[in-house]
Amino acid sequence: MEMTIEAGKDTLMNYIMKNCLWQFNSRGWDRKSQNENIIGKATQILCKEETSRETLADRCYWAEAQELVNEWQCFPWLQKMNDNDIKAMMGKLKETLDYQLITNSLNEELKNPNY
Amino acid sequence: MPYHEFECSKCIPERIKHAVDKGKDENLSDALPLGYLNTIPGTLSERGCAYCGAKHVIGTPMKDVIHLSHGPIGCTYDTWQTKRYISDNDNFQIKYTFASDMKEKHIVFGAEKVLKNNILEAFKAFPKIKRMTIYQTCASALIGDDIKAISQEVMDEMPDVDIFVCNSPGFAGPSQSGGHHKINIAWVNDKVGQVEPTITSDFVINYVGEYNIQGDQQIMQDYFKRMGIQILSTFTGNGSYDDLRAMHRAKLNVLECARSAEYICDELRKRYGIPRMDIDGFGFKSLSGSLRKIGLFFGIEDRAEAIIEEETKRWKPELDWYAARLKGKKICLWPGGSKLWHWAHVIHEEMGLEVVSVYTKFGHQGDMEKGVSRCEVGALAIDDPNELECIEAMYKLKPDVIVTGKRPGEVAKKIRVPYVNVHAYNNGPYKGFEGWVRLARDLYNAIYSPIHQLAFVDISKDEIETDKGFMTRQMFSDTQLDESIVNSKEMHEYTGEFDSLKRLRDREYPQYPMKGKQAAV
Repeated sequence: MEMTIEAGKDTLMNYIMKNCLWQFNSRGWDRKSQNENIIGKATQILCKEETSRETLADRCYWAEAQELVNEWQCFPWLQKMNDNDIKAMMGKLKETLDYQLITNSLNEELKNPNY
Repeated sequence: MPYHEFECSKCIPERIKHAVDKGKDENLSDALPLGYLNTIPGTLSERGCAYCGAKHVIGTPMKDVIHLSHGPIGCTYDTWQTKRYISDNDNFQIKYTFASDMKEKHIVFGAEKVLKNNILEAFKAFPKIKRMTIYQTCASALIGDDIKAISQEVMDEMPDVDIFVCNSPGFAGPSQSGGHHKINIAWVNDKVGQVEPTITSDFVINYVGEYNIQGDQQIMQDYFKRMGIQILSTFTGNGSYDDLRAMHRAKLNVLECARSAEYICDELRKRYGIPRMDIDGFGFKSLSGSLRKIGLFFGIEDRAEAIIEEETKRWKPELDWYAARLKGKKICLWPGGSKLWHWAHVIHEEMGLEVVSVYTKFGHQGDMEKGVSRCEVGALAIDDPNELECIEAMYKLKPDVIVTGKRPGEVAKKIRVPYVNVHAYNNGPYKGFEGWVRLARDLYNAIYSPIHQLAFVDISKDEIETDKGFMTRQMFSDTQLDESIVNSKEMHEYTGEFDSLKRLRDREYPQYPMKGKQAAV
């Protein structure tokens, strides 16, 4: 069965929300950076593109992304998806993460200026 | 996810936004319990204070330190009868507890002199211990004693000692979580960067937010050492004072309890560029994923994989034995803070338990986001519940077991709900592969203990069956099981030792030569 971009995004979103911790850093700006970097690197790995790992921060984002992609091998439909669809799906995934956990979040601590 | 109204809290309308039922097809932007707010007048909160959060949770697990409370002696109540953060130096930090023993006269005339005498006396009594932490309490904060000045005086007089002062009196926050924050920031401001460590590996971490409850830290330390990773410091379970002054030299902060220690990770990230990686040390799947991503970070994922394979092969058949007998049992996941999200999904997936409620006493909304995301639909999520709400929830949800601390645990026992102590543990450690089996065993023993069957008999009206005087756990648990499970040759009960740390003490670890500069991944 072919997976639509929307359904694929929902499946990956559920997976992240159930199994990962990196999307829950306590401040909105921090969550934005985590989502951008980890989803960005996961997209590059899925599309077999070069991934930057030069700084310690980059290596950390990459390790999270690589582990995520390794775990997503349980989704056979993802292996069959072409790069354009992967990019579109991962873009929507990041939007959903940002929406649920930052812009539309009910967590009142996200805007605290201090850690 | 509609908010949940407790019958018993109808007279406290503000409470309604502190509890949520997880609904189908809803997400965190539909409803989220409030959290980390001042306790509502009229509700009998079971939280700890900010002093407790700083000293008893985070400060005192440091092992080679005299921990002194500048306040009334009652503030030192929590020692080894309530806390079980053991250490590999014969548990010095929980065997001895120190207080300046402030009394009314000190409130009137000041207690700086008595504090100095106490510091000198403590160092004299334990001449091998050269490090001390001093904790402000409500009493010493209100009279304004200058603890830092006194400490400096002592350090000037005794150059071989070092003292850390934590100003986190009990009233300095809504709960113990306020104290976590204060001691994190005080430590990074006052102590980190003062010691240059000896680096022995290309792979160097700080292990943060781990308090070595019954040996959890030592279990994880074993995995890290087998991977050739140097743990520069542990913040703070089984941690050494001077190692924690050298946190700035790590390549990665591996964070377990984000609620209590993310602050220091975030500061180390900002000040020293050390990234933060949040992990789960509980559950086969989550722990495996955590070891893998640490391995990936350092380019040693093969070493992580070898440990996962070995440990899973050894312990999975034992976990499966308990999982077969725990399947479908209802559990309330009511720990203090982080275990509600560390366990919410894996305890369901790997032990088959149905999580009917999660709560946190001092967690923030971020903890609830994680817990609600990970638990199943229908679960009741509660922030800072009072005792009546807990009782109402237990009567309504009818859990087979609750996992919590000893105060709410004793309440549960009174209404005949078995509980497992997940603050100090029953028979921990619970971290690691073997530890997860030990938790499964404790849950099994709690649920199927014959004592609970006897407790349900009301001797004032029930007939007592005199021909059934002997039952075992297995006689209860195996009646509904398929024969293939009961007679399985693969699955079996826990076969580890009483002290699961024993075999780690003399273990020899592989030596990996350093390549100098950290190799690129």
